Amino acid sequence: MFFIVLPFLLLVFVFSYLPLLGWVTAFYDYKPALGLGGSEFVGWMWFEILVSSETQLKQIGQVMANTLAMSFLGIATSLLPVFFAMLLNEVRAKWFRNAVQTLTTLPNFISWVLVYMIAFSLFSTSGLVNTTLHDWGLITVPMKFLDTDQHVWLTMLAWSLWKGLGWGAIMYLAAIAGIDQSLYESARIDGANRFQLMRYITFPMLMPTYVVLLVLSIANILNNGMEQYYVFQNAFNREHIQVLDLYVYNVGLTGNSLSLATVLSMLKSLVSLALLLAANAIAKRARGSSII
Amino acid sequence: MRSHKAIAVVVAPLLGILSLAACTGSGTPDDVEVVSIDQDWSKAEPLTIDVFDVPANYQGIQSGWFGKIVKDKFNMELNIIAPNVAGGGDTLYNTRVAAGELGDLVIVGKGKQADELVEGGLLLDASPYYESMKNASEYDTAVQKLNEGKDGIYGFPTSASTLKPTEPGQNIDPTFGPFLRWDYYAEAGYPEIGTLEDLLPVLKEMQDAHPKADNGKPTYAISLFKDWDGNMMVMAKQPTTLYGYDEIGFVLAKADGSDYQSIIDSDSEYVRTLKFYNEANQMGLVDPESTTQNYDTMFAKYQSGQVLLSWWPWLGQSAYNTEQNMAEGKGFQIVPMEDQKIFTYGAEAYGGGLVYGIGSKAEDPARIAAFIDWLYTPEGVSVTSSDTMGAAGPEDLTWEDGPDGPVLTDFGRKAILEGDADVPADWGGGKYKDGGSALNVSAVLPAEVDPNTGHPYNYKSWPSYLETTANPLTEDWSEHMDGATTTMEYLEENDQLIVAPGSGFAAPTDPAEIEATRNQVKASIVEHSWKMAFAKDDAEFDALLAQMQETVNGLGYEQVLEVDMTNAKAQNDARVAVADELG
Repeated sequence: MFFIVLPFLLLVFVFSYLPLLGWVTAFYDYKPALGLGGSEFVGWMWFEILVSSETQLKQIGQVMANTLAMSFLGIATSLLPVFFAMLLNEVRAKWFRNAVQTLTTLPNFISWVLVYMIAFSLFSTSGLVNTTLHDWGLITVPMKFLDTDQHVWLTMLAWSLWKGLGWGAIMYLAAIAGIDQSLYESARIDGANRFQLMRYITFPMLMPTYVVLLVLSIANILNNGMEQYYVFQNAFNREHIQVLDLYVYNVGLTGNSLSLATVLSMLKSLVSLALLLAANAIAKRARGSSII
Repeated sequence: MRSHKAIAVVVAPLLGILSLAACTGSGTPDDVEVVSIDQDWSKAEPLTIDVFDVPANYQGIQSGWFGKIVKDKFNMELNIIAPNVAGGGDTLYNTRVAAGELGDLVIVGKGKQADELVEGGLLLDASPYYESMKNASEYDTAVQKLNEGKDGIYGFPTSASTLKPTEPGQNIDPTFGPFLRWDYYAEAGYPEIGTLEDLLPVLKEMQDAHPKADNGKPTYAISLFKDWDGNMMVMAKQPTTLYGYDEIGFVLAKADGSDYQSIIDSDSEYVRTLKFYNEANQMGLVDPESTTQNYDTMFAKYQSGQVLLSWWPWLGQSAYNTEQNMAEGKGFQIVPMEDQKIFTYGAEAYGGGLVYGIGSKAEDPARIAAFIDWLYTPEGVSVTSSDTMGAAGPEDLTWEDGPDGPVLTDFGRKAILEGDADVPADWGGGKYKDGGSALNVSAVLPAEVDPNTGHPYNYKSWPSYLETTANPLTEDWSEHMDGATTTMEYLEENDQLIVAPGSGFAAPTDPAEIEATRNQVKASIVEHSWKMAFAKDDAEFDALLAQMQETVNGLGYEQVLEVDMTNAKAQNDARVAVADELG
């Protein structure tokens, strides 16, 4: 049996543990042109830099706040696809339902770069919205939708909902199709109306799927990606848009401090570990058995 | 094609000269085996080389007439790799050097970047070829100085020059200056401009009189872009050059070494400019697209007359001063700002801020050495500098030598002065501008004299050009500028120019800790600068300024500033030294 598992263990080792060797760059002043051997060994210097000043800590704090805020906003809205799927399921006209489903799923396949282009042509200072408002005489100076620090978390949430809602509903539509029809039949015989069917049958039957997806998304709480924030970031909104992954990228690749960025990404692993242990402790208390 | 001076503006301050410390011997050890590059390369095997080109703004295979010339001479194609186009800061550079191969031909910043490549073994020692590189060795002083302290010849200078380092490196136009739409300025009655802030009411009047450009789009006095932001917001640094300052790290150093400012100080020239932009913005003079557009979008606006102020002649004039516009009296010209003392780069006796190098894994290094050597020939210089830099292009196509010196051909006038033209098929076809050298750097300063014609490479200095280009715009300008015929002439006569001797100084590499701090600080400065320029009122401006000062100080600005101050003073020492030696 062991030999059957071996390839997978090997893959896990190669892709999950071997890269940890890269952490060693955190102790060097790594310069790609010189290689690790030619770079200077600096010990804990980068770690000290990170905790040495209040401003530095404040910046990291802001980044963590952004990361967690956007993740939690995402989780808080994770019921929306459930409702969307339920409502969509109630549409009787098949062609209409299919059209809506296709149109809402499509954005998921548009890359963030293109989403930004759409956003730019609509909302930039000379975009469609501003030009229209201007032509109608409603505004005289263009409104700043993209280069502003106001409501960044919410606008980002709106964009990711627009992109992900239809896609997120697919799983639930499949789950709805799998619900035993006899439940509906007996409820109808008992006199339940459509809303009651949704409330007392469809919704509870979707909960197991929902909980599984919820747990998975909590595991990814620090991994809210960077593409979206990378394309939308600018000097005006950076303070509130910079999530951990983007911060690591900005420091490491844009700012060219690869070693410092390594230290920051180690921080991410540590926080993830802490979250995992916390979740485990809660699960232990609640269910009596650990999840790891 | 974007101007090479654009690069000087951005790169020169960032790179510095070779560290002055080391000075053991020079160049070639005696036991180097000499390899000749003299052969007919057009018969050699076809070859495509990767050119890692820091200043390039085009990525891909060099096409058009320049590509054809290189193909005919060397049977070689240039695959240009442009970090500028790829974006993402140093990402491309880092991944390529980590892989151990940057390119076959490498054009990078001298000092820090080039030193690192030599140390990491990514550049080839070209000593074996140097012996037979006849044209490059014309500038041997610069070559030796560039490779001082190294055990071979790893780099070749760009913008090499035999002019005195105390002479301006430009003979017609300075790199910086307050250039306004002269026709609108004239309409406003040639108002006097005492100092920077006096531009605002003038610009306001000009913009109000012409709210729409010819293409029907709104006109703005000022339009900004962010592509080149580095230690600070690039567009906010430019006006400081009008008062003789240039950046080195976070320091604004005056050309004559008489003043050094920390940019974040509330009374620095940098903050003054931010204030200037902010006031302009409050007056409705700043293009709202400034925050999101890139250079190309902005350039297009200049071309269609939607912008009224340019800090660079190679932006406003090269975009808008076409022969047709000038004939109608329209175009950008420098305005007389009374207290200006414009910073000018002296001719770089030891070469500009970039170097050519051969990659250590290059397939045919001898051919690349031959190519580099060719760049220093009169032909090479004529064809590699773009038209905005002033060199005329290939002889017999855009210009020809006559009894009274070189003259632009009809084709040349059309291609260079009137916008663009279709290149004849036997020269490679396509549009003239698309076919220009994508290398975007010249081995020799265009102000140098072409030994074949006896006139500078820069066509704007040719007598034939000066004679034939008098037009309503320049005539009117000249009339109101004490009869001056060129911008430089006016500035020199009014003592409004300050030359920083071309010492070729490159700041030494920062210690690791300083570099990390610098990168964080500059991100914060750039971010706050933009916010300040677009603050809604003075109170918000002041709050942002205070916030910026607090943040960067908290990040460790002081330590970085100390390093920059030391570098700024070393730079000045180098300037004084070169002025004494060669000036």
